[in-house]
Amino acid sequence: MQVEQILVSTLILTTPILLAAIGGLVNRQAGIVNIGLEAKMLSGAFVAVIVSSATQSWFIACLAAALSSAVIGWMFSLTITRAHANMIVAGLGLNILVAGVLGFILSWVYKTSGTLRQPDVVLLPDVLPEFFEKIPVIGPALSSLDPLTIFAWITVFCLPFVLTNTRIGLWIRATGNAPHVTRAVGLRSLAIQDASTAFAGFFAGLAGAHLALASLGLFNEGLTAGRGFIALAAFYFGRDRPIQTAMACLLFGFLDTTQIRLQTAGFPPKLIGMTPYLMVLLALIFTSVRAQRKAQL
Amino acid sequence: MSSSIASRSIGILLPLVVSLIVSGVVLLVIGKNPLDVFSLIATESFGNARRIAATLSAATPLLFTAVATAVCFRSGVFNVGVEGAFLVGGLAAVFLGFTLPAAWGFALFPICFFAAALIGAIWLYVPGILLAKFEVDEVVSTLMLNFIAVAITGYLVNGPLLSPLSGNNVTPLIHEVAYLPRLMPPSTLHAGFLIGLVCVAAYGFWCRYTPAGFEGGLIGLNQRFSRAVGISVPRTIVGVMILSGVIAGIGGAAHGMGQMHRFSDGFSPGYGFTGMAVALLGRNHPIGIVLGAILFGALASAGTTIQLFSNIPLDLVNIIQGTVMIFAVVELGRISLRRKKGTANAG
Repeated sequence: MQVEQILVSTLILTTPILLAAIGGLVNRQAGIVNIGLEAKMLSGAFVAVIVSSATQSWFIACLAAALSSAVIGWMFSLTITRAHANMIVAGLGLNILVAGVLGFILSWVYKTSGTLRQPDVVLLPDVLPEFFEKIPVIGPALSSLDPLTIFAWITVFCLPFVLTNTRIGLWIRATGNAPHVTRAVGLRSLAIQDASTAFAGFFAGLAGAHLALASLGLFNEGLTAGRGFIALAAFYFGRDRPIQTAMACLLFGFLDTTQIRLQTAGFPPKLIGMTPYLMVLLALIFTSVRAQRKAQL
Repeated sequence: MSSSIASRSIGILLPLVVSLIVSGVVLLVIGKNPLDVFSLIATESFGNARRIAATLSAATPLLFTAVATAVCFRSGVFNVGVEGAFLVGGLAAVFLGFTLPAAWGFALFPICFFAAALIGAIWLYVPGILLAKFEVDEVVSTLMLNFIAVAITGYLVNGPLLSPLSGNNVTPLIHEVAYLPRLMPPSTLHAGFLIGLVCVAAYGFWCRYTPAGFEGGLIGLNQRFSRAVGISVPRTIVGVMILSGVIAGIGGAAHGMGQMHRFSDGFSPGYGFTGMAVALLGRNHPIGIVLGAILFGALASAGTTIQLFSNIPLDLVNIIQGTVMIFAVVELGRISLRRKKGTANAG
């Protein structure tokens, strides 16, 4: 296994986790733990495949995926903010509901179960011209950059500024950390939460589009394979901070990459697959113990 | 008073009604008459003794997972890790069921069940103590533990515990003496169903007549008050988590020894989460749980036949389950309450 290959596949496998985690962390900054990312990724992937096949445009496909998932996210948010649904149970319910609806559509409309192949699905293009590939070590990774990966990383590096230095960023953080204050100064905290959940849906939709259109060009019921929860793990691990969360995503993407290689080296793949979850558990314990120590001092 | 009873019954009926409407609309869209389909589901799941047995058989694991969920939810502890405890408990029971000598005969039952309960208890004790001692968010910790349980059990059945005789992903069969007896032989309904009913009854007794159950309910209603009257909140939290693990573990054992007779990769197709829907639908009440489990059991057992004969995708069951879960936690009562408060403040 060469370094170049590891870099390429780590980069590609990180993108969907990263996109979903970006949405999730903003959502959690506004005070909503989004357990339904998985559902919105799945619907995003589905919409992306259909629209890409129908319009022959990866851009419209991604946009449609993002917007449809944003709408789902917004409706999901209404049940939490307006109807006081417990966000965890509602999120788990949303995952089951969306998987059910998509499965239903697959077998009723497309007469297939599990996998949907559409003709002429346009995949995400490579952005940089071919000669970048000649650059040693990072060349192949650079030349395999797709628009969504670039967009994800630009967003990651803009987010810290947006969250700390802009009005909207402060609104979001105030809503999550001090809802009473937000309401007291006359901000519509529920509307801000709804917007942040729609934002999370938008990015989860893009994550799904990336899963479907990066290389596969098809939709499968198991396409997300728990990545929505890995994203959740990532922003818990990164404590809702964009850069730290992105680093966690890179780590999980790297684990995903090495999983296949380690498997051939004799490591049980299932046990490697559980590392992200174990890490989050340990990180949670670590941060909570530390916070308590601080409180005691 | 009467209005509170009315709003409570609305709370119980709302998720059912909404999911009926949603699935009805879905059926109308695909050109089926919802009433026909619903009555078909009813006859397929309750039409004769054999079908009722199939329904109850499908409801069996849900009795356990629903009680295990309800034990925690009524204390305000959002334990979503019942699925994981069900898996590790089931594997523990099955493992002993085929490794211990068959000559031990009936002694295998208590041993396997005890081991499953113990493993389940330990499994959920971890997030319980983390929540009680260090305020580690139980939702995330139990959610993560589910994935870890799937990974560990998946690794074991594909590696060390893989059956040498059959292909992939399964352990050897347990000894025949350790099979739970079938209640109505051609059907798979087994004694686990009765154990499940006993668990529900014990849960009901625990809630109403024991100090621990009362304290558990109280911290769910008002933690500050509970602390003020001298209830140890951390101890109660750990207690309900252990209890939840015990019940989930026993459920896994019953499923393994009564239904599957071995452990496989798809041992639980999400019983923990369906159990959550059942507990929410039944509002943590024992009778509600039994009815909810039978309802979802009926959907599961009829769903396959419906797909076979009227070509309606089985995914309809998931649509219903998801809708029930979302609308079971929606609080219509509080919407109107808030509005009233808002107008009062404004005035």
